Amino acid sequence: MKKFALWVVLALALGTLVYAQAAKLVIWADDRGAPVLRDVAEKYTQDTGVAVEVVEIAYDQIRGQFITTAPTGQGPDIIVGAHDWVGELAANGLLEPVDFGPKLAEFSAAAVQAFSYGGRNYGVPQNTENIAIIYNKALVPEMPKTWDELLEFAREITDPTKPMYAIVFQNGPDPYHWFPMLSACGGYVFGTDAGGALNPCDVGLANEGALRGAQLFADMIAEGLLPAGVSWDTMRALFFGGNAAMVISGPWLVADTKKAGIDYGIALIPSIRCADGSYGIPKPFIGVRGFMVSAFSQNKVLAFDFLLNYIATTETMLALYELDPRAPAHLPTYEIVKVDPDIAAFGLQGQYGIPMPNIPEMASVWGAWSDAQSLIANGQATPEEALAEAVQKIKAALKCP
Amino acid sequence: MAGRVAIAQGLKLGLLALLDAAAVWAAISLLLRGDLLPLALLAAGALLLNYVVLSRRAYPLRFLLPGLVFLFAMVVYPIGYTVNVSLTNLQTGNLLTKVQVIAQLEGRYYLPPESETFSYWAFRNPQGELRVTLLAEDGCSYLSEGSTLVPVDLTDPRFVRGPDGTVVAFDDFSRLPLAEIYRSLPALERLDLTWEGVHVRLATIREFRTYLRKYEYLRDADAIRDLETGVVYTAREGYFTSPDGVRIEPGFQIYVGFRNYLDVLTNPGIRADFSRVFGWTVAWSFLTVFFSFWVGLVLAYLLNDPYVRGRFFYRSLLIIPYAMPAFISALVWAGLFNTDLGVINRIIGALFGTKVRWLQDPFWARTALIFINVWLTYPYMMIVSLGALQSIPKEMYEAARVDGATGWQRFWTITMPLLWVSVAPLLIGSFAFTFNNFTIIWLVTAGRPAVLGAATPAGATDILISWTYRLAFEGDRGNQLGLASAVSIIIFIIIATISAVNFRFTRALEDVSRGV
Amino acid sequence: MYSRPSLVGLVVRYTLIGLALVYALFPVLWILSASFNPTNNLLEQRLFPANPTFEHYRRLFTDPTVPFPRWVLNTLQVSGITSVITVFLCALGAYAFSRFRFRGRRAGLLGLLLVQMFPQMLAMVAIYLLLIKIKEFIPWLGYNTHPGLIMVYLGGAMGFNTWFMKGYFDTIPRSVEESALVDGATPFQAFLRIVLPLARPILAVVLIIQFITTYSEYVLASILLKGTDMYTLSVGLRFFIQQAYDRRWGAFSAAAILGALLILAIFLPLQKLIISGLTGGAVKE
Repeated sequence: MKKFALWVVLALALGTLVYAQAAKLVIWADDRGAPVLRDVAEKYTQDTGVAVEVVEIAYDQIRGQFITTAPTGQGPDIIVGAHDWVGELAANGLLEPVDFGPKLAEFSAAAVQAFSYGGRNYGVPQNTENIAIIYNKALVPEMPKTWDELLEFAREITDPTKPMYAIVFQNGPDPYHWFPMLSACGGYVFGTDAGGALNPCDVGLANEGALRGAQLFADMIAEGLLPAGVSWDTMRALFFGGNAAMVISGPWLVADTKKAGIDYGIALIPSIRCADGSYGIPKPFIGVRGFMVSAFSQNKVLAFDFLLNYIATTETMLALYELDPRAPAHLPTYEIVKVDPDIAAFGLQGQYGIPMPNIPEMASVWGAWSDAQSLIANGQATPEEALAEAVQKIKAALKCP
Repeated sequence: MAGRVAIAQGLKLGLLALLDAAAVWAAISLLLRGDLLPLALLAAGALLLNYVVLSRRAYPLRFLLPGLVFLFAMVVYPIGYTVNVSLTNLQTGNLLTKVQVIAQLEGRYYLPPESETFSYWAFRNPQGELRVTLLAEDGCSYLSEGSTLVPVDLTDPRFVRGPDGTVVAFDDFSRLPLAEIYRSLPALERLDLTWEGVHVRLATIREFRTYLRKYEYLRDADAIRDLETGVVYTAREGYFTSPDGVRIEPGFQIYVGFRNYLDVLTNPGIRADFSRVFGWTVAWSFLTVFFSFWVGLVLAYLLNDPYVRGRFFYRSLLIIPYAMPAFISALVWAGLFNTDLGVINRIIGALFGTKVRWLQDPFWARTALIFINVWLTYPYMMIVSLGALQSIPKEMYEAARVDGATGWQRFWTITMPLLWVSVAPLLIGSFAFTFNNFTIIWLVTAGRPAVLGAATPAGATDILISWTYRLAFEGDRGNQLGLASAVSIIIFIIIATISAVNFRFTRALEDVSRGV
Repeated sequence: MYSRPSLVGLVVRYTLIGLALVYALFPVLWILSASFNPTNNLLEQRLFPANPTFEHYRRLFTDPTVPFPRWVLNTLQVSGITSVITVFLCALGAYAFSRFRFRGRRAGLLGLLLVQMFPQMLAMVAIYLLLIKIKEFIPWLGYNTHPGLIMVYLGGAMGFNTWFMKGYFDTIPRSVEESALVDGATPFQAFLRIVLPLARPILAVVLIIQFITTYSEYVLASILLKGTDMYTLSVGLRFFIQQAYDRRWGAFSAAAILGALLILAIFLPLQKLIISGLTGGAVKE
């Protein structure tokens, strides 16, 4: 009996040993990457004999499950994710820095920078995205260039009983879509220190510029020009139903806009007149999507080989672009697709964008900032009160002096 | 009869013997693997099983044990785990164990000023040993001997050349083709060759490169030395920290005792908002249970009435809210309650020419939430009441009818007290569930509308658990699991106390029922 | 229990039922509408979509990325097994608490109630790590297996259901099993042959409640199952809906409607059991 047990145990131990030896890559991706990655994986297996498994996971689950699984050694080798995850993941010691080698020159410097944390790069960027105005050409004869013109247009066509609105964006609350209004005249989330690193104790959400945009937002709601409490679904229902002339949204809305049969255009978010009389262009957040390698991977060299030699190719990047049409961060691919008018139009706004802060301190910002937006939208507080309180809460949570 | 008992007894003992044999076998294999904790659990389980089966006094336990096993594994153990986490600093930046962090830091390298790269060939002998030859850019070549490198002359006849003039074998080692190299990458990646104090490691599939080690763990001082700068980082507060306060990321988990509890209990902001949130949490749970119970009971009562036609049909339609995925219902309700665009306000507007600020005014937001949650919960109450109504013997009603009691009196004097016996614990359970029903709050209002001047992010409809979530996951650097665990334990203590008090109440009821 | 109601009484009854139906079905109409709405919209301004379509229903059965029938099968398996075992184990426990007097009974009952009150939000990590560990030893019972998931559900289902059944057993007079015990049956035999058949209504209630609870459970299943073939309906649909920016509400609503029909199909036959009264059962014995 005992001998038998010993043999079984030995076999088990050997089994795990052999299992650990066999090189195999596991990739977690969502549906905006998985189908293409499966093809690339197949090619990689053909070329090298190394098995690559692509596991499809809902996008909003990847980060949380990666944090739980990676330290147990059961996690994936590569994940697909957003650059603003990097701070949390790297601070937890879960990511392996990327050594691009000569490939570095093929990537947009800004996109690579977005993936860096603490002076090291943690991701191979795939594409970038930002919001702009998407408008219904049937309802907007001429796209307003400034917010003043927009207000004029809004007063003309707004009719809450129909309903009909000139402009709608997610605000229920949703600081991401609100930020362009605040940033136009100088609002920001975190300032940077002398070395260019983000300084979590310099919060610019209640400065003069931010208040200018917030006041505009409050006034529009008070005047009935902007519906409050708009969710993603409400925004879509209004825009696709012809009840909203324009929305502030991103490339993710385009496919459905086409499907809904709307003759659409993409334009800059109208400029906001600042205190000194000049016009400030709204700066949206820029999000970068890319590939990250687990620090607990047993196959890091393999993972980087796969990413730098099979993913970072024009062929793969083009296929990924076809599946998820956003501006590629891989420059040779961008050169090919930049003729697409939508990419160009979003890119125009993107020139003014700023990468969403990727430091983990951002966790303290969203809640307080959302509360401020909802207080303003409900008319429970003036923009000064609400935003000043938000900044104070953020600083308190981050134990800033 | 006696024979069957003997057979049953024999079967029982035989089965027990078989299980015991299996347990012994499993125990041996666990011992050999050195997994002591599962071994202890196994031993305790086996002893308990034998005690339960063999002892007469443990007879009731035979009925309870199967359920208890699951209860312990899936409910009690996680509570213990949470208590353990609540005593640690587990949070963003302090996720890994210290051993993991040290291993990770010791595995960090940096490139020396003049880094060299080598192309390589990998060789393997029949015993599976792996060796590599490296070719530097300056033409020098090296061979790995164990974990060191030695200069080697590749023109030596011991190196066999292939048709293309490259080395294909030496001694009993033969060169790996590229496909083999891919398959052996994990082993190659683990190779850490040293040469004159420099580490040479696999950098890409085709190259080795020289590296220098970045950190070294000093066991005696419990510190990390940066070999590049010479700075020593000592373990402090879950981070290796330099004398001038610079921390190495990642940090690691440490036990912090009751600090998380103290943080919660002594934080003036938390104390300021606590009573408001707590008051609403109790009101929300109580009102939800109260209304859903009455709606459910009245419907069950009506749909149990033989004089109501189409009972089957109505019962089926009325459980539909229970059969819908809760989160889609919650999102639909949130949309229907939207102030500017929602259908409910359009109806109210058409009827009364006004609009209610649902979800923006604290009072109306709370009303809407309870309205939605009653919708989600009443079918449960209805089914439960339907079942419980069957437990009331019909004879009792006959007797009451003879006494001339009205339908109303019969309901209050007979139905309710008897129903209460089986339903009361479920109401307490439902109360506890609602008390912690994070999903609905989160999907409909996310705790908003916000309260101006609140010291912490506590909105008007935040219940304790959603507030906990915001404190722990929307503060500092996110994911303060230690803190969240501590708050969970505190909430648990609060609600367990409330329930225990209620339990004394039901105990009185149970004793009344004994007389029936 | 009931006497023939007056006309007013009947009107009151039907009015109440009618109001309840409006309350119950009002939001369901929107889900139904979305399931026929070609634009994948949960909050269409009109209740009746402009050009209704069966596309979403068709897609559920034809789209290779949505193994809907597979998910239904998995769910039926997991929920069915969980609810049947729950009913049996809870009945066992409830019988012991109701009929035996032993040391620790009161404490046990209280403990059973209290441990259920722990906020489960954080327990997930513990359960996850436990199942990973179990997988090392018993692969078919660990992480990413249906038996493992069922085991987790069973643990959560014990408390309140045991209590509920105990309350019901308390109302069954002891005299019904005493004669059997006198005849030499063991308590277990008395339980199996006499008490269980009498308790059919409550068994049916617990079965349906446990079935629906398991059927709609999302959080644990989403953490413990990996890979589209393993998913239960709730996880699969949630995965499906989150997988795209267009939020496939249409197909999702269609699935929710089909899922509700599935529950109804199970509820209909059980209804008969639920309302088969105690005395009716006793007479049949």
